[in-house]
Amino acid sequence: MEIDEHIGCAMSGLTADARTLVEHGRVETQNHRFSYNEPMSVESTTQALCDLALRFGEGDEESMSRPFGVSLLIAGHDDNGPCLYHTDPSGTFWQCNAKAIGSGSEGADTALQEHYDLNMTLEEAETLALSTLKQVMEEKVTSSNVDIAKVAPTYHLYTPQEVEAVIQRL
Amino acid sequence: MSMVFAPCLTETAAPTTHAEPAWSPYDNNGGTCVAIAGEDYCVIAADTRMSTGFSILTRNYSKIHQITEKSVLASSGFQADIRALQKNLDARHQIYQHQHNKQMSCPAMAQLLSNTLYYKRFFPYYAFNVLGGLDNEGRGCVYSYDAVGSYERSGYSSQGTGMQLIMPVLDNQLKSASPLVLPLQKSTTPLSEFEAVDLVKDTFASAAERDIYTGDAVEIVIINREGVRRELMDLKRD
Repeated sequence: MEIDEHIGCAMSGLTADARTLVEHGRVETQNHRFSYNEPMSVESTTQALCDLALRFGEGDEESMSRPFGVSLLIAGHDDNGPCLYHTDPSGTFWQCNAKAIGSGSEGADTALQEHYDLNMTLEEAETLALSTLKQVMEEKVTSSNVDIAKVAPTYHLYTPQEVEAVIQRL
Repeated sequence: MSMVFAPCLTETAAPTTHAEPAWSPYDNNGGTCVAIAGEDYCVIAADTRMSTGFSILTRNYSKIHQITEKSVLASSGFQADIRALQKNLDARHQIYQHQHNKQMSCPAMAQLLSNTLYYKRFFPYYAFNVLGGLDNEGRGCVYSYDAVGSYERSGYSSQGTGMQLIMPVLDNQLKSASPLVLPLQKSTTPLSEFEAVDLVKDTFASAAERDIYTGDAVEIVIINREGVRRELMDLKRD
């Protein structure tokens, strides 16, 4: 989902909880733009989401009595270039070059570790991401059961045609 | 000079005016501020006289405040409000540095100042501000404000009691195309840093002749790639 023009995120876990976090992220980034007339850095956005995760929500009434059961991958582009952060329900976050989350994440992480290279092009990255997904998915990868989004340097969710084009290259 | 809130009379029959308040929360301490933006520098200047009514309180008060590495605020008006505003911005800047691990850029500070002023829309800071500094690309930028936060980026600006004497001179020397004309023209002046400082000195010397609230000395702050430097030039003390 898109958080701001320059930041997107992917979720895994109780995706209903993720919507609250994403909404909070959207509010924070827009507040930042209002106050400072500049895009919020990806790390600060991630920090803001993790602050919420730590508190189990905000305020007296809206705060939950359990943690947010969701991990997020926050991808964005700011003054430091493109970057990726991984968050979990504890409110900790790590910066990564490549990461997989979810039920098939162990296998996918290993695959990413083998094939990831810092100087990959966007096309190579698309292919790597989708082929890694293919390895851990039980069903066949099609344009209707896979979503791809990129932040390069703005957020863009691929149309089914664009996804199909990447699938063809696998 | 005291600022009095005047009621707005909308009825035509037997209008009522409330009595002149005996006390005003505001006072105008006078003075003038000027800023000029160049290709890779910014000059911010203000006189050092602080007055009240027809008296001088001190000949040696700085109206210029450096908030970040790259932004400098010059304000004329009610100095007590201005001091409070400066402290407010300093605190906000510190918080920003802690949260985002970097200094605020000048455009970001410009927006923050606007919001801070508008926050007190119904009991304004009696401050007429000019914010000068370097933007993210290292080019000079000047932002001028009204008392409630309306702001605009321009190539040069002046505020304060001597504004009406100085602004026409700056317009004549530095005028560039309107920011509404497309394609957008650069508003920074092609003058060199030395020429801009000279122009500022001349304008203050002229303003000090006729504006009774401007004089004693002019403090000039120049920001460029190397850092920040200050100059002080004496003005007429009458």
